[in-house]
Amino acid sequence: MAELVQYVLTGIGVGCAYALLGSGLVVIHRVTRVVNFAQGSFAVLAAFTVTTLLAAGLPHGVAEGLGVLLAGGAGLLTGLIATGKPGTTPQAGLIVTLGLGVFAYAVEILLWGDQPRSFPGLPGTVAGVQAHYLLIIGVTAVVLGATALLFARTDLGRALTATAEDPYAARIVGIDVPRMGLLAFAAGGALGGLAGVLVTPVQQVTFDADVALVVSGFAAAVLGNLTRPGLTLAGGLLLGVVQALVGGYWSTSYQTEVSLIFMLAVLIARAGLARTALEAA
Amino acid sequence: MKWLPPAVAVLVAAAVPPFLGPGQLTVYVLLGLSAMAVVGLSLLMGYAGQVSLGQASFTAIGAYTAGLLAVHKFPPLLGLVAAPVAAALAAVVVGIPILRLRGHQLAFATLALQLILLSVLGDADWAGGAIGLQGLPYLSILGFELNQDRQYAYLVLLGVALTTLVASLLIRSRTGRGLRALATAPAAAEASGVPVGAYRLLVFAVSAAFAGLAGGIYAFYVGYLAPGSFPVLLSIEYVVMAVVGGLGSIAGALLGATLITLVVQALTTLATQPGMPGYAPSVLSYAVYAVLLIVIVLFVPRGIVPALRLRRRSP
Repeated sequence: MAELVQYVLTGIGVGCAYALLGSGLVVIHRVTRVVNFAQGSFAVLAAFTVTTLLAAGLPHGVAEGLGVLLAGGAGLLTGLIATGKPGTTPQAGLIVTLGLGVFAYAVEILLWGDQPRSFPGLPGTVAGVQAHYLLIIGVTAVVLGATALLFARTDLGRALTATAEDPYAARIVGIDVPRMGLLAFAAGGALGGLAGVLVTPVQQVTFDADVALVVSGFAAAVLGNLTRPGLTLAGGLLLGVVQALVGGYWSTSYQTEVSLIFMLAVLIARAGLARTALEAA
Repeated sequence: MKWLPPAVAVLVAAAVPPFLGPGQLTVYVLLGLSAMAVVGLSLLMGYAGQVSLGQASFTAIGAYTAGLLAVHKFPPLLGLVAAPVAAALAAVVVGIPILRLRGHQLAFATLALQLILLSVLGDADWAGGAIGLQGLPYLSILGFELNQDRQYAYLVLLGVALTTLVASLLIRSRTGRGLRALATAPAAAEASGVPVGAYRLLVFAVSAAFAGLAGGIYAFYVGYLAPGSFPVLLSIEYVVMAVVGGLGSIAGALLGATLITLVVQALTTLATQPGMPGYAPSVLSYAVYAVLLIVIVLFVPRGIVPALRLRRRSP
């Protein structure tokens, strides 16, 4: 029983990171229709930055904050390149973000080398679970709650939502649609960076860890069809817990397959549903 | 005179190997293998209109098919023939469920399939696990053993010619016209009786077969296979080549593969000069892939070859 609680808690912790990354994908996709393949790179970039800042003697908290800020900047830059040129289709935007993800490899190897890196998280254990997992869960709850409030209660959030619902109408009422897109990219970058900063103490990060991260984030987000933040959180948690249970009771070598097959199943089931709906209409 | 440019291209390509040193011959062989996989991917992306990030999985399936047969003492020629067949069969099996997906969903699904394949191969004892298959024999055809780089250069040239021929016959056939309709207006094509689903599956299988053939030759040429030989980055490299050359254009696929291979090779040569840091080759090649992909998508969205054709037509 204690074992089960332990697996579930660590699963929720890792699942929170997937949910954060997936929420970044959702924010960007809702507002710009671009699926951001570079989302995993934001996490890696932020994590590596924190290792350098900590080594330079900055205290915990400050280093992590700066890492997330830098990821937000990287997100803004990605948005500028992927959507800045008028007439770029979302499909072209996807390929551009793929290119930017590969470009990040060059930067990361140049600055940090190709070895895995990590830094210590919150020390100690609570009920057999590393305290850091509880920190991940707490921070995710606060950040996703604040994001939801931002979207629901502020003018900026309403403008972002309006752009997501109908860019044309949003422009007519005076919303600067391209700027909203860039804001979404910056927010998405920060969410991805936060995921990377939170997860690095419990899972080492390498320069090419972005592929696994972006796939897990996408798997979480696809449950809500890349538009529903609530379902993204649910998807992330489900994925994390199932992975942890499979790793705990069966074998850690099947964890990747589990999340990937879960994603494929959701995708294919959705495509089937969409087709049936289309035929019924 | 439509056959003239391809004939000249084949003659030029055939004239090159005798003048190449050992290292350059390796580049020639690898370039040809990429070209075969990219011709297929370009068909798929150009005519089915879908981004596939898993083309290297079919290269891996072809390579492992040939490698496993060779390890179990089957005639190498059988392995070479089985490689594209196995890849095409695998494409049909996974294609039936995943080709219902569109756009970014298919991109992620193909990426996921490749990650699953790599993970399975890494754990599979029968495939040598993470260490892989070692000591594969050279390819031999009717007792004649291909044991020199130059012979593989010509084998690869033959493979490129074959895939190019099959691809152009496919495009020019009745099926090809259906495919073109499908690429531009899927709904209209479906309404006029084009079996959209079956055709998408056909292109997927053909493109997988090309990659599988490349994998089969690779297995005999290198003599060693591991999951790490077919990383996700190889799939992305194929996409870069296809997009840079021009999607849905065979000449574009060949040009894209050639251009990227030669540029990356030139930079690697530069980066391995004495005094350059050890990370320089990988940093430079990642940067080149990335910059070329981004610049072409933003400024020459149709790719180099179609852009040149348009320019020639409108003086």
